[in-house]
Amino acid sequence: MSATMHLLRTDWFGLLVAFAVGAVALGLAQPSFLSTYNLYVMLTAFSLSILIALSQMVIVAIGQLNLSVGAIGGLAAITFAGVMEVWSVPIPVAILIGLLVGVAGGTLNGVVTHVTGLNAFVVTLATLAIFKGTNIGITEAQPFYEIPDAVKSFGNARFGFFPYLLFVSGAIGIAVWVFMRRSVLGRQLLAVGGNLNAAKLSGIPVGRVVVAAHVLSGMLAAVAGMLAVARLQLGQPTIGDDWLIISFAAPVIGGAVLAGGHVSVAGTVLGVAIIMLINNALVLLNVDPYAVQLVLGALILAAVALSRFREPA
Amino acid sequence: MTAKLVITGASKAFPGVQALDDVSLTLEAGSIHALLGENGAGKSTLIKIITGVHRPDSGTVLLDGEPMQFFGPHDALAHGISAVHQERNLIPRFSVAENIMLERLPTRAGLVDYGEVREAARRFMAPLGLEIDPDIPVRNLSVARMQLVEIAKALSLDARLLVLDEPTASITPHETETLFRLLRELRDKGVAILFVSHKLDEVFELCDSVTVLRDGRNACASRSLNGLDRSDVVRLMIGRDETAVRRTERTATGEPVLALRDVATDLGHRNIDLEVRAGEIVGLYGLVGAGRTELAKAVIGAAKVTSGEVQVGGRSARIDSVATALSRYRIGYVSEDRKHEGLILMHSVRRNVAVTVWRRIARALGWLPDRAERDAVTPYIERLQVRTPSLAQPVSLLSGGNQQKVSVAKWLAAQVRVLIVDEPTVGIDIQTKVYLHELIHELAASGTAILLISSDMPEMISLADRIVVMADFEVVGELDNTRDAADMSEAIMARIHKVAEVA
Repeated sequence: MSATMHLLRTDWFGLLVAFAVGAVALGLAQPSFLSTYNLYVMLTAFSLSILIALSQMVIVAIGQLNLSVGAIGGLAAITFAGVMEVWSVPIPVAILIGLLVGVAGGTLNGVVTHVTGLNAFVVTLATLAIFKGTNIGITEAQPFYEIPDAVKSFGNARFGFFPYLLFVSGAIGIAVWVFMRRSVLGRQLLAVGGNLNAAKLSGIPVGRVVVAAHVLSGMLAAVAGMLAVARLQLGQPTIGDDWLIISFAAPVIGGAVLAGGHVSVAGTVLGVAIIMLINNALVLLNVDPYAVQLVLGALILAAVALSRFREPA
Repeated sequence: MTAKLVITGASKAFPGVQALDDVSLTLEAGSIHALLGENGAGKSTLIKIITGVHRPDSGTVLLDGEPMQFFGPHDALAHGISAVHQERNLIPRFSVAENIMLERLPTRAGLVDYGEVREAARRFMAPLGLEIDPDIPVRNLSVARMQLVEIAKALSLDARLLVLDEPTASITPHETETLFRLLRELRDKGVAILFVSHKLDEVFELCDSVTVLRDGRNACASRSLNGLDRSDVVRLMIGRDETAVRRTERTATGEPVLALRDVATDLGHRNIDLEVRAGEIVGLYGLVGAGRTELAKAVIGAAKVTSGEVQVGGRSARIDSVATALSRYRIGYVSEDRKHEGLILMHSVRRNVAVTVWRRIARALGWLPDRAERDAVTPYIERLQVRTPSLAQPVSLLSGGNQQKVSVAKWLAAQVRVLIVDEPTVGIDIQTKVYLHELIHELAASGTAILLISSDMPEMISLADRIVVMADFEVVGELDNTRDAADMSEAIMARIHKVAEVA
């Protein structure tokens, strides 16, 4: 097979072309798109969304869905901010506690899903309510304002138009890519998603793999939540409320098979990039902000329809 | 009179495979036409063209003399073509009657009239001798019954062209007889029937004419079966003579590697005693539903052993999961259902084989380089002569025989000490079958303890050293294999029927 053919058949190449064409078109139509400030703002949102999308992607890999991605992220965010404000916990310890919230949330999702055999959709719908309820119970819907300056300045810091946040999520993105491609656990996730019975009969400890996927998902959501705190400069209880759509849209646009067994980290990241681009275009071209959701919805449908053609019957 | 269906010069390509290349077939009304060929020869593709699932890239299809172009299975149905596919196409939670009548549920005042659904379904079940309650959900039926429901459904459509793809694969000889009687009646009423089977005896018993495919081309097109004999047909299918393998009796003297002592399981097995020695092939024979696959699952930890003792290598073993069976006791299981239990179809050949050894070949921190996988997999892919363009090829694009080789290769790669092989050659072409038999034999010769589950009596007699007979989740006899087909099958059936009579 020629190199070109090979490129065309990857999940990411078409997306990269689409993104490049879109970016050039937008840059020509609206030069303010290329202003340093606009790029910085866009990349900041991009940084968070990558983690949100990857958090969902690892669950899609095992053929499940996680509705509680945003709720875990939100709970981790307010815990991270809360322990720093109320108990003056040092930042590294607060990060660790935030991560533990993600681990705990993921463990709960994974263990309940595996032990009860219930559909993850139902389980995470329930835990979504539990996590969100805990969040509101702790914060009484009021933000934590006293965020250490180091966290705030990290959230604002940039290198040219690259926000520091992007370095964090970029590094994590690469780690997840390596994990899915080249680690035993990553392979096992895809095997379980590809054919649960075959995976089980091949000696893969399915229960452990399912729990591991949920723990990883929880941790990624928690990191996204903590980065959101740094970006917003406060521990806002509503962090995570609007993550659900993008968490599904990006992996699906990126070529993930919703039944499990196939995901693409590069595709997912490009999926996020395309969504960001469309968002930005609609803002720059002064389109009604409510139309953004509409376009996103249409994009998901188009991506799902497209993936039907790619999969062999 | 024009023929019912005339296909001329049909070709169809899929990514990386020319599935059909200039294939022709003429099917007359009022005849039963056999479509034969090894796995991967293109039979399924041809059937899918006839039933409107695929459209040919080139060539013509005439139905009753009219060129036809179907835009989907529904279209084909509307033209009086119905099919029983190899894969189950039933809705498990729906009742037998609903499944049969699904396409055209009778209604009264806009609501489904279940009384009429039952009545209508019974009309189509009766000729097949299918005497079951039409209200029970299909998922509670045995595989054989499901197959019959599927056939009843196809018949109910009152088709003028009926395609049957391996309809007898899972039904009993008695049910097969009933089916054949019915098919002959339909033929006499002018229905055109296309019959696909790996069982050549059935073909000669039932069919009038034959089309043989080999590597996507016609080895013969619509030839009368008169004047052909079995060896002619086999030669057409595989392109050379069939070589019968006669093995000599041998006795394994190794230590018992796997032993079951008075084992009961929560699936319903009772008092199971069984022993497999190193280098020995023990056959586990029984009718469909005798509990053989279930016993295998219990041994590998996928079902629970409730009492008795499982010993591996002479020591009591506690196998609570397949992972334990593989890593601690080195027991492997080649599933009878490679699509649902054996392989991850969308994944590559390399991953499918390496899945059992990932843990073993991984470096620190679970780091798994491609090269390690390739090195672990390649020798077995070569040894089994798996025909694939590359290790990266998705398994779903391989032929059935090559898929089966992949599902065996992964256990060879795992280097297991005990290998349970469940119906290794069902739906497999003759060449691959002979090859797999050779392989199982070699594995035993090199010291692997093999438990062979098979419903194929000649296969059992050709391969097994000892044959353990099961019926109704119990062991009902154990025989040394004399390799005399007639004697052995009589002895085995006697054991099975003794139990059946008592029950």
